[in-house]
Formats: sequence, C-alpha cells, structure tokens
Amino acid sequence: MRPRRFVPLLAVVLALSGAMVARTDEGAGSERDPLEGFNRKMFWFNDKVDVYVLAPVASGWEKVSPRCVRTSVSHFFGNLRFPIVAVNDLLQGKVKASGSDVGRFAVNTTVGVLGFFDPASHWGLIEHREDFGQTLGVWGVPPGPYLVLPLLGPSDPRDAAGFAVDYALAVTPFFIEEYILVGARVVDTVNERSFVLKQVEDAKASAFDYYTFVRNAYLQRRHALVRDLADTTEENQQLYYPEFDREEKP
Amino acid sequence: MSLSRRTLAVVGLLACLAPVAHAGESPRALVEKMAQQAVDILGNRSLSSDEKRHRIEDLAYANIDFDTMSRLVLARNWSRLSPAQQEEFVKLFREHLALTYGRNIESYNNEKVEVVGERDEGRGDWSVKTKILRGGGSADVLVDYRLRQENDAWRIIDVVIERVSLVANFRSQFQEIMSDGGPTKLLEVLREKNAKGEPLKSDGS
Repeated sequence: MRPRRFVPLLAVVLALSGAMVARTDEGAGSERDPLEGFNRKMFWFNDKVDVYVLAPVASGWEKVSPRCVRTSVSHFFGNLRFPIVAVNDLLQGKVKASGSDVGRFAVNTTVGVLGFFDPASHWGLIEHREDFGQTLGVWGVPPGPYLVLPLLGPSDPRDAAGFAVDYALAVTPFFIEEYILVGARVVDTVNERSFVLKQVEDAKASAFDYYTFVRNAYLQRRHALVRDLADTTEENQQLYYPEFDREEKP
Repeated sequence: MSLSRRTLAVVGLLACLAPVAHAGESPRALVEKMAQQAVDILGNRSLSSDEKRHRIEDLAYANIDFDTMSRLVLARNWSRLSPAQQEEFVKLFREHLALTYGRNIESYNNEKVEVVGERDEGRGDWSVKTKILRGGGSADVLVDYRLRQENDAWRIIDVVIERVSLVANFRSQFQEIMSDGGPTKLLEVLREKNAKGEPLKSDGS
C-alpha cells in the first residue's frame, strides 16, 4: 500500500466525482451521496469482511488479552501517528498544538516505554486528532461526494487524498519495510476493532438503516473536526430551528 | 415603613419562587446532577439490571424533552403526521431510545462523567460539554448536551456523542423512510423495530 498505488485509485475517484463536487459539499444525508448505488454495494462488501473476518478475530483477541494490554497496543500505534498529527497541526497553523505533539511523542517514547503508556496525557500534553483530510478542509478544499472505499470504509475524495498523504507521512520518517507496515496496520485495526465490538452490534441492531446511520455519522463528524468548534451556521439553524418549530407548540 | 414593606414583598416573592427553584437551575447544574444520578444508579450493586434500567429511564424522562426532540428529528416532515400520529411517534421514538441505550446498562464499568465546558448557543439554547472518563486520551468519550429553556426549566433536546448529533442522525434515517412510505410506514417501521428490541432481559449479566 505505497502512496503511489493510491494515485490511480484517486484519479478514478476524482474523475467520478469531479463534476459533482460543487453540488455535494453541504449536508450530511443523501444530497451528499450521488454514488449511493456503488457505495451501498461497497458498504455491504466491507460489512461482510467485518462480520466474517475482522470482528471474529477482534473478538478472539479481546478474549485472550486484558483490556490494559489492548489499551497499551492502542497507545503504541497512536504514538507512531505523531508525524501525521504534528505536521498537520503545523499545516493548519496550530503551532502550539504541533509543539505539544512533539513533546507528547518525546515523553511517551521515553517515559512511556516506546509509546506503550501515555504519561503525557497526565502532564497536560493531550492527544490531538489531525489528518491531512482535515488540513485540506481547513484550506478550503471541498470534500466532494460521500464515498465508501474498499476495506477502508467511509470516506470522500478529500479524505481519500488525505489518507494517501498521511500514509506517506507515517512511513517516511521510520524507514520501515512495507510488509512490516501492512502487518502493523492489521494488528492496529484488529486491536481498535476489539474496543467497539458491542457498540457496533448495538448500532446495527438499533439503526433503521445501518448504511444511512454510518454515512450520517461519518459526514457529521468529519465536518465538525474540520471546523474544530461547534458552529452556529446555517446547518445548525436548520437542525435546531426548523421553520415549523417557530409557530405552534403542541 | 416603606423599607419593611419592600422586605416583605421580597420575602413574599422568594416564597413564591421557592417551589420552582429546582426548575430554574442552570443547564450546567442540571447536566451535572443528572450525570451524578446516572453514575449512582449504574454503580449501585444492590439494584438489579431491570431496576437500573427503570431508574435510568425515569431520569431520562425527567430531563429530556422528547416532544421537542421528536419534532426536530422529523423537521419538515412533522407536519405530515396527524396529531394522533405525532403523539404515537413521540411515544415510539422514546421507547426506541430507551431500548437502544438500555442495552448498555450492563457495560457500565465505573466510568465517571466530567463537565468540561458550556456554551451559549443563542436563541435560548445552551450546550453543556461533558466527557465520560475511560482512561484518558482517545479512550474518553465526548458527550455534549444541547438544552432549551421552556417555562423556566431547561431540558435536553439533543445529545451529541463524539460530534455526532443524535437528532441529525435520526433525521437522516427517518427522512429516507418518510420519502419511501410516508407517516404510516414510519410508524410501522418503528413499531416493528421496538418489538424486535424487546427481549432485553437475556442481554448482559
């Protein structure tokens, strides 16, 4: 999964979505999903992979490993994301946050024993969540239509491009062989999945349409992460003050 | 004496206000109190799962404005429902939420809740930001409550978990059902879903 392999995929994606970009930037529903037919198929495929492979493996891992072990593994991989977070903080002009990320990495790699523990959080160096998809959003690049990628799941052209760049950022500083990275990614994914076994099951059971549920959650969350703060914009007004609501109350 | 008359008036006014002092509490105080009550119920070992579930439901009913929440969830579709349908929708939607969140009663593992901020949203709304503490960093869960004041009392009208608004999420799901089959279909789907979610007792402990 070298970054250059994403280029053809991205080219296809962007060609598919280019024309729609302008119309599909706002909202978090079907208006953002002109490729719904394709997306639903891909979503179904990913779900099968999850149900038959990922979730059982994660469930096995959950049974044999105490929570503290899984948390440490999660911290370890989180620590390795440091170049992504620090660089993207910088690219978004958050210099102070970027400095804090560097400090976090230094503390957790040393005191935190190669990142398996997270003493930095207790020292006020809290974890930030940044990626290049968000950076592009901050720079004003529109997200384009919702897009479900094979194995990677919910995305959009902006986040797919961001993912490729972040991947390069994560790899380059460590000079690691590709097969090790793929292995690491598998372990990371299984481990993270083990934390949400029940949540995913519950979400599936309670959602009226699991596809719509996930799409909306993804679009809302990415939108909020780009803005960083809750907003009092048009959408928010539509959400909390629909027109009918101003008149009568039952 | 005009002074004592005024004092009397003030005392009289205070006496009148006293019964509604609870209703006039700040949104932050309301959320803090509710979170504390929830933690007390969930952490109480002498209660059975069912008792816990009932108490949590009562707590939710006391603090959440399900009428407003239902109207926001359906948005412009609300007026397509007859008054009787609206009433049924509120009831079914509330049941659905109770079933969904009731599933998690047994997953409680001594997590504490901390209020981390609040915000005036304008137009009479207020947000209270909380964090469910689960070991720090990304393990913690951010939960924001949006409250609206009516008749001097604040009540919750939306819950935003990790930046995903419950109202917006259900709106998008219900929108699809409404555009497919209208109000009748919506209520039918809800009834079916709730019936399926009923056998909760086998779950958990």
